[in-house]
Amino acid sequence: MGIHLGVWNMAVLFYIIRKLVLREDGVMQAIHVEELEKTFRVRRKEKGMRGSVQAILRPQTEEIRAVKGVSFGVDAGEMLAFIGPNGAGKSTTIKMLTGILYPDGGRATVLGIDPAKRRRQLAYQIGTVFGQKEQLWTHLTPYDNFRFFGAIYDIPEKETERRIGELAERFELGEFINTPVRNLSLGQRIRCEIVASLLHKPQVLFLDEPTIGLDPVVKESVRSLIRQMNREFNTTIFLTSHDVGDIEKICKRIIIVNAGQIVLDDSMEHLKYHYLHKKIVEVKMQEETALPQVEGITILKRKGTHARLEVDTGRIEIGDALRRINASDVEDINISNVPLENIIMDIYKAEGRDTAS
Amino acid sequence: MLTAVKNQVRVCALSIKYNIMREMLNQVTFLMNVTFMILNNASILIQWFILFRLREEIGGYTMREIMVLWGLTAASFGLSHILFARVYSLPELIVSGKLDSYLVQPKSVLLGVMTSSTDVSAIGDLLYGVILLMVAGLSVRGFLFSLLFVVTGAVTLTAFALLLGSLAFWFVRVEMLSGQMVMGLVSFATYPDGIFRGISRFLLYFILPVGMVVYHPVHILVRFDGGMLFTVLVYACLLSAAAAAVFYRGLRRYASSSLMEARM
Ligand SMILES: Nc1ncnc2c1ncn2[C@@H]1O[C@H](COP(=O)(O)OP(=O)(O)OP(=O)(O)O)[C@@H](O)[C@H]1O
Ligand SMILES: [Mg+2]
Repeated sequence: MGIHLGVWNMAVLFYIIRKLVLREDGVMQAIHVEELEKTFRVRRKEKGMRGSVQAILRPQTEEIRAVKGVSFGVDAGEMLAFIGPNGAGKSTTIKMLTGILYPDGGRATVLGIDPAKRRRQLAYQIGTVFGQKEQLWTHLTPYDNFRFFGAIYDIPEKETERRIGELAERFELGEFINTPVRNLSLGQRIRCEIVASLLHKPQVLFLDEPTIGLDPVVKESVRSLIRQMNREFNTTIFLTSHDVGDIEKICKRIIIVNAGQIVLDDSMEHLKYHYLHKKIVEVKMQEETALPQVEGITILKRKGTHARLEVDTGRIEIGDALRRINASDVEDINISNVPLENIIMDIYKAEGRDTAS
Repeated sequence: MLTAVKNQVRVCALSIKYNIMREMLNQVTFLMNVTFMILNNASILIQWFILFRLREEIGGYTMREIMVLWGLTAASFGLSHILFARVYSLPELIVSGKLDSYLVQPKSVLLGVMTSSTDVSAIGDLLYGVILLMVAGLSVRGFLFSLLFVVTGAVTLTAFALLLGSLAFWFVRVEMLSGQMVMGLVSFATYPDGIFRGISRFLLYFILPVGMVVYHPVHILVRFDGGMLFTVLVYACLLSAAAAAVFYRGLRRYASSSLMEARM
């Protein structure tokens, strides 16, 4: 009797879990988030000495709703950019997904595991890189740090050695792998941080502003590494960054949050396509001439013989627009799409930069 | 299960080893720290020598018991501060949100944090304490028991600091209080319990667990008492369990931070 009940129980439980983490077509979702909430309570203090005294006598707390009911799903192997203006709640969301913060409401599972309940089990399977925080011990060399991480993730020593060798070569750490971390440059350190977070071959990689403060060359190598991880091991990438280059060059999908809420969840291609009906035309004329004043053409900037126009191809065909410009006068012309940066800025602005409250 | 425990112990041991390695980088400072702590402790014992010239017995203790008392206190304090120095600065870590890196590792957060730094001069305390216990004229059996009490004392002391420190998850300004309480415990632990009576005696056994850290052990070493031994052991376990429970309960309230930080 008991055994039978047990079996039934298991079957039902299994069914429920399947329902929760699998999508209709049976693809495992790497990340699943439903109505996630986080509220911080902070002490408020009025200005000056009087405020300090008041804060002791009658402490006042203020609630900051950093994440207000966020829901989304990420498939295994996806590369997602999770972006938004400062204070939007990106880091807070990442911290809830990695088990650092305890959510106040809603549910989240990463690889089917609840980060708040089975933090340790999850930690074996995810990697985290926080551009602003160090996980490495500063007084140890990267090499010793990696060995320590190997022990933390229960990787046998031989295997640790092998992986260190492999990753060190790929990330070109050879020169400084035996220099204490505190003597490394920022870029060298971040590269080591990333290696440390990859040592245990995580299935999901969370990156919070991984390229902050890096030079373009190192940035590019970090990006290509992330892409490579995804290609070779089908690692799911969850990235936040204020660098449009990161977003454009790594991610296939984009989620924009503002004031703790999702305002856009779309594929990169789709996003660009939507905004692709606008072209930027930059012209240099031989002499100052009048620019066409027609519907669909906006003059963005004009300085002497230089001009920058935005052409709305939904209202005027690009050919028509060009015909309005006196071709014999044109010294140089450049037509381009609206940069992603502007698209994102527009969305931020449209949603209002109100702060979380 | 067993491998999990083994792996956890291995990580803690590595962590402690790296801490001590870091301190030893500068050999001169290291040796100075250790030596000065031993001298510092020894100088205080001199006052007791003088006092015992004047009187045979103080608070029920003779010089031998004072040496055992000091030996136990110094060694417990030393052991706790060598292995788990971070517990004593836990409130600062909690309030400034520096537990993130321990939370993303597949190992115990609590043990990870606790073993993440060391206090070199505590090596001096431990050496001094053990030497005192050796020269105090205990029997071999007594000496072995005293080593057990060094361990239970260190555990109790650490658990006490952890319990108070964890309150920082709820109250921001707990830092001072917990520091004072721990130092209070240690200072009381260097006086014979016979001089305290009534309410202060009650406090010393039940609020500041000095009784459990040294007074009971000293009594047991003078005249064996199984019941007392049991109390000391059970108390150490219960306090540790309570401290860990409070820490983990508080961890849910942990707020992290976005400050630039380094793991030192
Ligand atoms: N530890 C904390 N205590 C109190 N409030 C916090 C804490 N961490 C974040 N907040 C608040 O929560 C909100 C979201 O912060 P979060 O760090 O998630 O933003 P973000 O999207 O990562 O921004 P940024 O791009 O600047 O990194 C902000 O209003 C911030 O003030
Ligand atoms: Mg952030």
